[in-house]
Amino acid sequence: MTAVITGVGVVSAFGAGAPAFFGALAEGRCGVGPIRWFDASTFPVRVAGEVPASPAIPAAAHRDRKASVALAAAREARASASDSTPDAALVIALGLEHAFLEDFAPARSAVEVTPRFRARVDTAADIVMRELGLRGPRVVHVSACAAGALAVAHAAAMVVRGQCDVVVCGGADSMVNPLGLGGMSRLGAPSPRDTADACRPFDRARDGLVIGEGAAMFVVEHEARAQARGARVLARIAGWGSTQDAYRATAPRPDGAAASAAMQRALVRAGLSPSDIGYINAHGTGTPLNDPAECKAIHAALGPHGARVAVSSIKGAVGHLMAASGAIELAACLLAFERDLLPGTANHHDRDPECDVDVIGPTPRRARVDHVLSNSFGFGGQNASVILGRPQ
Amino acid sequence: VNVRIVGHAWRVPREIVVNPFSASYRLARVAALTQPPARSRNERFLRRMGLYGMEVAHEAFAAAKLAAGPRYGMFVGVGGLRAHWDDMLAALADQDAAGTDAWERGLENVHPYWMLRHLSNNVHALASAELGLRGEGATFGGADGGLHAIRSAARALADGAVDAALVVAYDSLLEPETLVELGERMPADFVPGEAAAAIVLLPDAGRTLALAPLNRITPIMGQLGAATAVVQAILEIS
Repeated sequence: MTAVITGVGVVSAFGAGAPAFFGALAEGRCGVGPIRWFDASTFPVRVAGEVPASPAIPAAAHRDRKASVALAAAREARASASDSTPDAALVIALGLEHAFLEDFAPARSAVEVTPRFRARVDTAADIVMRELGLRGPRVVHVSACAAGALAVAHAAAMVVRGQCDVVVCGGADSMVNPLGLGGMSRLGAPSPRDTADACRPFDRARDGLVIGEGAAMFVVEHEARAQARGARVLARIAGWGSTQDAYRATAPRPDGAAASAAMQRALVRAGLSPSDIGYINAHGTGTPLNDPAECKAIHAALGPHGARVAVSSIKGAVGHLMAASGAIELAACLLAFERDLLPGTANHHDRDPECDVDVIGPTPRRARVDHVLSNSFGFGGQNASVILGRPQ
Repeated sequence: VNVRIVGHAWRVPREIVVNPFSASYRLARVAALTQPPARSRNERFLRRMGLYGMEVAHEAFAAAKLAAGPRYGMFVGVGGLRAHWDDMLAALADQDAAGTDAWERGLENVHPYWMLRHLSNNVHALASAELGLRGEGATFGGADGGLHAIRSAARALADGAVDAALVVAYDSLLEPETLVELGERMPADFVPGEAAAAIVLLPDAGRTLALAPLNRITPIMGQLGAATAVVQAILEIS
């Protein structure tokens, strides 16, 4: 009983559409640049992985940028899967997103703000369900930066258990707006650099993340169903695991022990050994604390193979998509099966000795691998690992 | 769902009362938690409902008499607003609609933890750390968040992925923005409520988790949003 991915849609700093995303990753390009859609000139952070305007993206659907990018990605995923089953479920990861300063400025009481700001945590999911005409179950994951990976794992579990024939799943988020940028800046998470190469995962000079936005959505169904309808399988969802650091709210566990356990659980569920993993798409935020802890986790989970497995992070190229990061990074993993290419790590030039893994530099690496593992680690120590397998 | 509840705790309204503020938004009656949450160092990261969530998480886990463990999972359901603006008003008051100079007009004074206080998985992060729960887990959002948390916990127990699971859910329909919204689209007899509830689950092939019917809740507690399913589970064994 295997869940497979038969459709993918992506909205990223490279624009709308999975082809644009895969093409840019294959060329080793970086989509981070100056923020354009609002005046960020006086903010301490002025670069981001901003989604460029596109006819494929509904114009701020219901004034919710998350919903806009989610809709565009979900429509593309369903079209690429050639599946429009109305009974499909929706399992989606959503983040905060605070956009449209004009909606509440000036505001002097909480009830003065416009209806959009009365939105509850799952409002964007309702918009996506309605716009896509989905009638199946609806699940909303809000586990911060681990949510996207958890949503895809949840969808796979629903399919494997026979709860649903087909699930539209993934994540959507946007923090590229005045409140998102302002709040993150005050938190001190973004790199202070004002350049496109601000985020440098695993690099000695890394000093913070770059905010991104976008969505990645998939169509997940049972392998037998996909075969029966002649659908092209993009990947098998082989295994997944999650753990909690149980350490601190604001910092990852330095020894990576819980993150390692998530990877090990994914391996066990997939029935694989460490040496079966040919590539790890790291959480790789480019922050001083995350990257070395993740490398320790990789070594602990994979043993001697941890020093040999190829590792990269796409966050230097598209930014940190927060709740959607796990989803878009699983989409990046499809490049390994589609083109026998492992995505590069934009802006990585001088590996930090503390990050002692085989980091792929900015140029993608040609390799044929059968299984890839993607890590997503959320605020507060929620860890998720998902393993994808090459279609058989 | 073959599990049994070995610990539980809740904060639920005791009665439905007429409320002048909500009545101004067409909803005359509410069911509110009247006892404020205890003071906590977690006030840095949590708002009122999150603090209740932490309280019930600790109480339910203590009642279960389990030691902390690497194979104990935690599953959380949260409702509520995507963001709160009351603690942002000072930063917003002088903004202009075009967003010009937004940083100098107030955003530079936003509290560094404002963003963290709005993360939906705050209780998950803090409670798992304080209770030493290191197994599988996830946080679900929306009015069905508590139900998904129970289902996921039961699934993890059935798979043998965790040995025990703490499920926490909390929600309030009484925040001013929510009352405005509900007043516009719900019938006048709709009673917004609020609650936090937690249960600790163990696998038990001989038992099936049941949920008490909603009519045991709403006449006394009103509508509880994401907390509903966990409150139903506790009611069923009470």
